[in-house]
Amino acid sequence: MRFWCSQLYEEWSWVPRPYLGVWLIVIGLVVSRHRALRRWNKRVGTAGVTHRQSVWFWLGIVGFWVASDWPVGTLGAGYLLSVHMAQYLLYTFMATPLLLLSVPEWRMRQFVARTHLYGTLKLVTRVLPAVLIANVILLATHAPWTVDTLRVSQIGSFALDVVWLLGGFLLWLPVISPMKELRVASAPVRCIYLFGAAGLTPMIPGGFFTFSRYPLFSTYEIAPRIGVTALTDQQIAGAMMKVGSVPLIWVVIAVIWSRWAAEEEKESKAAIRAMHDPSAGGPAA
Amino acid sequence: MTALDRLTRRRLLAIAASAVALLAVGITVGVIRANDSGEQSVWVDLEPPVAMPDAVLTDASGAQFDLQERTTGRVTLLYFGYLNCVDVCPIHMDVLSDVVDTLEPEVRDQIDVIFVTTDPERDTPAALGEFLANFDASFIGLTGSARVLRDLQVAAGLPVAVAEPVGQDGSYVVGHATQVLVFGRDGVARRAFPFGVRQTDWARVLPQIVEEGTGS
Repeated sequence: MRFWCSQLYEEWSWVPRPYLGVWLIVIGLVVSRHRALRRWNKRVGTAGVTHRQSVWFWLGIVGFWVASDWPVGTLGAGYLLSVHMAQYLLYTFMATPLLLLSVPEWRMRQFVARTHLYGTLKLVTRVLPAVLIANVILLATHAPWTVDTLRVSQIGSFALDVVWLLGGFLLWLPVISPMKELRVASAPVRCIYLFGAAGLTPMIPGGFFTFSRYPLFSTYEIAPRIGVTALTDQQIAGAMMKVGSVPLIWVVIAVIWSRWAAEEEKESKAAIRAMHDPSAGGPAA
Repeated sequence: MTALDRLTRRRLLAIAASAVALLAVGITVGVIRANDSGEQSVWVDLEPPVAMPDAVLTDASGAQFDLQERTTGRVTLLYFGYLNCVDVCPIHMDVLSDVVDTLEPEVRDQIDVIFVTTDPERDTPAALGEFLANFDASFIGLTGSARVLRDLQVAAGLPVAVAEPVGQDGSYVVGHATQVLVFGRDGVARRAFPFGVRQTDWARVLPQIVEEGTGS
């Protein structure tokens, strides 16, 4: 049993090949959450999480597990660039936001206090550093040299996946952090942030993948073929990169925008009411 | 500024510096590789050069194929493999079929890709044709008697393929040379291209070989 998926020069097989590292991480996350909730329950007497947070947690775990384990992990590490891209999308736009949504505020504060990361998180969740970090991670981890160098070994492949996960958490913290002070306060700025951090830059490598005349990644070019040519696979990956995150990003932007508009409207209605309410000091009708 | 602020600022700077350094290394290597004018050799020079072996084999239609006669005046990529190979052979054929699709027609028309089986027991002419049609219908599949194929590999300067012991399910693998020999129009191979040569490299080298005609 291998620790983590990496490039193999073997014919693709549908015989399941679970990865020890993936299962250890999944078990670690489930056990640590269970113990933290039990301790919280003993001390405070409440569940500590909402039903919705529990659902987010299990969906996030499923996203992580599907992206990392066989067959997606194996295919993405050494056979198909398009599946490698699907892995990135699952990590960044499913597993990490759902896991972040599943964390109650008290647990996040516990974690931040124990790791002394408060100051660092305050800085890296500011709009400009967050946009910069998200884009650097995106470009660096999709460069052919990085992928071809890291995917050949289990430790390298593991490092690439960890960077994607960390990048995913950093991308979403300014939007859905359990700690309010880590979120970008202004809703319009949050929308601009999301567009700048996740909606714009993927067009660059995505364009290279789509319009390149030859395969860019030796990992997926010199690999046993599964159905499609290396170039077609790369074009599919390019299209996925360009549009894969678009629906989610725009849905989130629309939700932020509509909530903000509703709050603004509520506040302005309340202000008008107060203006016409004599008891509140406004002029009588 | 508090001590905590200074600490977090240092951490942020360290993170930013690491990220920028990682990106810079990636970009630098990418630029160096992109600007590589092609002087870097992806092949092995054959010393001494190898003349096209004199052998008569059987093609996918069952007809006789005189190797020297049929390849004279053409650039020939000669490869020895077998159809039950699960990795190197299909990858080689896939890379070659993809790259020949991208060549200019006047270059493409002067190149033959020949796949000679190292497993004549299982690889019938019809099976060879069916296998190669999955990649490129113009690729030529050849077989022959075990003795002729062995002599051919020796004449081509390659180690002779060896069949491993038969497994319980009746299958077996064949250990064989994985390089592609490139013969010029003069019927002499001066370069061998190992497994792993990429499409970009083939696309750069093949038009040069066709233009020079000698494969040197």
